[in-house]
Amino acid sequence: MAEQNRQFQSDDFVLVQQNKRITDKKLDSKPTTFFKDAFRRFCKNKSSVVGAIILSILILLAIFVPLLSSSNITNVRTSEKFLAPKLFAAGTGFWDGTRKKEHVVYDAVNGVPALSDKYSVEAIKKSLVSLKVEPEVSYIDAASQYGTGGQIVVATDAAVADKDVYMSSKPISFTNKGGYTLDIQFGQEEDVNASKLGEYSVYLKSGDRPQDRLVIRDFSRDYSPISVNISDLMKDAGLSSMTAQVVFEVRSTPDALRYILIDSVKLSGGARAKNLDVLEEVSFDNATVMINNSDTGSMAYWACSGRKGIHNSELYYCDYVIDTYMLVYGDADLVTYSATEFNAWVDQGLCSYDYKVGPESFVRLSDDCPIDSVESQTVLTVTKKLSSVTARGYNYRKMGYDKMPSFILGTDASGFDLFKRAFAGLRTSLILGVCTAAFCFVFGLIWGSISGYFGGNVDLFMERFCEILSGVPWIVIMTLCILHLGNNFITFFLALCMTGWMGTAARTRTQFYRFKGREYVLASRTLGSSDIRLIFKHILPNSMGTIITSSVLMIPSVIFSEATLAYLNLGLQGQQSFGVMMSTNQQYLSISPNLVIFPAVIIALMMISFNLFGNGLRDAFNPSLKGSD
Amino acid sequence: MGKYVLKRIGLAFVTAFIILSLTFILIKLLPFQRPIGGDAQQIAYFDKQYSLGYVYRFEKEMTQYGELLYKSPSDHGRAYYYYQVPVLEQYGNWLKNIVTRWDWGYSKTYQPNVAASVIIMSRIGYSIRLNIISVIFSVPIGILLGIWAALKKNTLTDHTISTLVMVFISIPSFVLISFVLRIFCYSLDWLPSTWPPDTAPLGARIKGYIIPVFCLSFGSICGYCRFTRAELCEVMESDYLLLARTKGLTRRQAIVRHALKNAMVPIFPSILAEFIGILGGSMILESLYGIPGIGKLFVLSLNYKDYDILFVDMAIFTTISLLAGVVLDLSYGFIDPRIRMGAKK
Repeated sequence: MAEQNRQFQSDDFVLVQQNKRITDKKLDSKPTTFFKDAFRRFCKNKSSVVGAIILSILILLAIFVPLLSSSNITNVRTSEKFLAPKLFAAGTGFWDGTRKKEHVVYDAVNGVPALSDKYSVEAIKKSLVSLKVEPEVSYIDAASQYGTGGQIVVATDAAVADKDVYMSSKPISFTNKGGYTLDIQFGQEEDVNASKLGEYSVYLKSGDRPQDRLVIRDFSRDYSPISVNISDLMKDAGLSSMTAQVVFEVRSTPDALRYILIDSVKLSGGARAKNLDVLEEVSFDNATVMINNSDTGSMAYWACSGRKGIHNSELYYCDYVIDTYMLVYGDADLVTYSATEFNAWVDQGLCSYDYKVGPESFVRLSDDCPIDSVESQTVLTVTKKLSSVTARGYNYRKMGYDKMPSFILGTDASGFDLFKRAFAGLRTSLILGVCTAAFCFVFGLIWGSISGYFGGNVDLFMERFCEILSGVPWIVIMTLCILHLGNNFITFFLALCMTGWMGTAARTRTQFYRFKGREYVLASRTLGSSDIRLIFKHILPNSMGTIITSSVLMIPSVIFSEATLAYLNLGLQGQQSFGVMMSTNQQYLSISPNLVIFPAVIIALMMISFNLFGNGLRDAFNPSLKGSD
Repeated sequence: MGKYVLKRIGLAFVTAFIILSLTFILIKLLPFQRPIGGDAQQIAYFDKQYSLGYVYRFEKEMTQYGELLYKSPSDHGRAYYYYQVPVLEQYGNWLKNIVTRWDWGYSKTYQPNVAASVIIMSRIGYSIRLNIISVIFSVPIGILLGIWAALKKNTLTDHTISTLVMVFISIPSFVLISFVLRIFCYSLDWLPSTWPPDTAPLGARIKGYIIPVFCLSFGSICGYCRFTRAELCEVMESDYLLLARTKGLTRRQAIVRHALKNAMVPIFPSILAEFIGILGGSMILESLYGIPGIGKLFVLSLNYKDYDILFVDMAIFTTISLLAGVVLDLSYGFIDPRIRMGAKK
């Protein structure tokens, strides 16, 4: 309240310009242009600057990665497919080229996870980082070479045949004095009510006539074990000897698929049986092993006219971590090199070796040496000279690499380096985007200027044309162009231009309507300016900001369109394409998720930074926000 | 007003007519694709085409009609030779068939000899159902998020919502679908990884809706949120809202009675347009998730090179987008009394 009581005296006030000449003064502030000012305001917007930085990093990567990386992205090498991303040395536990798998069938015989048979057991063992076998036991219905036990399923389908037989295909000679016995165990289903177990009979078949059958159990649903003495049966039937096959016959019922489960078959002979080895071959008690050893084991002696399979086979599962790079590029199988080949390396000083001492004298002297250790050697007996060595080396040397390769983002199904492929694709997309945006910018600007500046009938006609063209969904235009002209770069460019320029044109037209009536335009016209000069010198610079922003934002939409088309099987061919890469990798989502996730992150990052950058640009160019900060 | 509505609709019709005509001619200019199937199906197809006026039928070989499309096996010494009618003549017959019999052509390779309209009708239901559900979800969520962000403008809540919206609006839909499939179908195994068949039990079918609805509504939630926030922020700074507060209304009253109502003016037409525009469905979502809608049909007919079906599918997309534009334009006028549609300046 002190101010209110203050008394002002007249000498408190001084006239500022008393006795001074008033002249125009030069402005103290620095002159600025529209673009300079826009740039200054853009830099104040933190998020846009971050967007611009990320964007420029991505663009630089897209330019230089395909140029500088020597990785292969053109020749399909399936042996190198699905390598895990590797940035750090193996064993660091993060981004190190290892892949963790859970719940994989465990190969109990070899003690390794059952990977595809492409890799040798040795290679898998050496590449394993960790392995955990689950104590629990699972049951499967399909036959698996890694299972044990289980029962053979013999099924018959009413739609195909009314009965199916499962029979020992090797005829066995029985005599009524051999003391031959047949023991059969059947499997039962736990839920008897829902059971689809069918009727079956077991007999010995010595010929095709009905009287050639020696029935052991007639058609029934009795699944209790069978144990019969065949010799006694033959005596009862009055036969002294016969050559027969063991037959299981399953009868179908019209309504459903029926099957029986055979747990084990044991044919044995007494002291006087002659053909013990054949009996052994027909017998089995491990159905899984029996059905899988088709070429060497007992399976050759059983034939099935219907469907057969394995039920309740026991399988072990394991979790493991495997170094995918060691698996592919790691220890090779033993390779035998001739003495001349080997001595050449010794002479070159790559390694040293004394064949008189033997394999343990091998010393690796240079990284260029293709082998790591010598396993064995052969020496000629006459001349006592080295004839050949069998050695072990790394696979990558055989595959043409100088050192163990490592791919930052891993490899895809064709063995291509994902990192290089992604950025090569991104480069194509960016080139397409920039070309399209540039064309649309120029064409839209010209079209919009003419339409907006002249108005009247010209405007009406041009507007109707735009209206019709913009009424067609872009996907329709793209599809028609691709169907007619093929899916190459030029078609994409043309089609995207066709749909893209109307936005710029409309925006330019609006800006022209806004500015063409202004006084400065009238002034210039009075001074005799031509239409061209009015358009390009006076009106256009005012509307430049918004048009530039919309043109920049067109680039991500082009990238997006290209990728969308690839997902509709219309992707760009003959060029590295980001969209085609993403849509092909989509099917490997469950095998190797990094193939989808990394490109997805790259394109999402690209879109986000483009949007941030575009927002900043729009604010910076917006004249109404000028000076508000 | 009524005159403007009529004019607008009439213009849309003319536009649709021109676009469809051009599309038809461009499609017909593509190399002819033979229908699949045995001779019986081929003859049935070509006779149908003959009766519709798209091919010529002769009893002997002709040279002046270009490439021979099909020669029927000789039956009692009589064989038919089929040739393509000139494209413009086909166009005339096509117009006639549509006007007189509402006949849009027949499938060749996808489902041979089935009418295109039948195929479309059997599939459009899936797309419509899916999209209506997703609009029902996305509109309220998007608008509520937008209102929340606008009311808490320049606070942590607003920044979080705006940033998330910006990030998610930038993620392309196919990327989103990949991630959702990866997480919820493969890793967690909660939801089916493809569209369940119609014979599946009700529970499984409802579960099958979750992923497509989520993916479809995700983008629109972000869009509505951003739109609503921008509109409401603008209204909140307007003079009449200041007046409302100065005359004694509470903040809540001012917002509910004045701000929200006015902010909804541009939002509501876009909801209407979305309802129509979204009927086309998402081709990518439908083909990745195996939904038997018309978006998937587009991809299928392309793969089968069944161009008649492709054309009808394209026609639907075109019509839908034109319709959405008309509704958007007109609803502005109906909702906002300040806008006089078609009024002279």
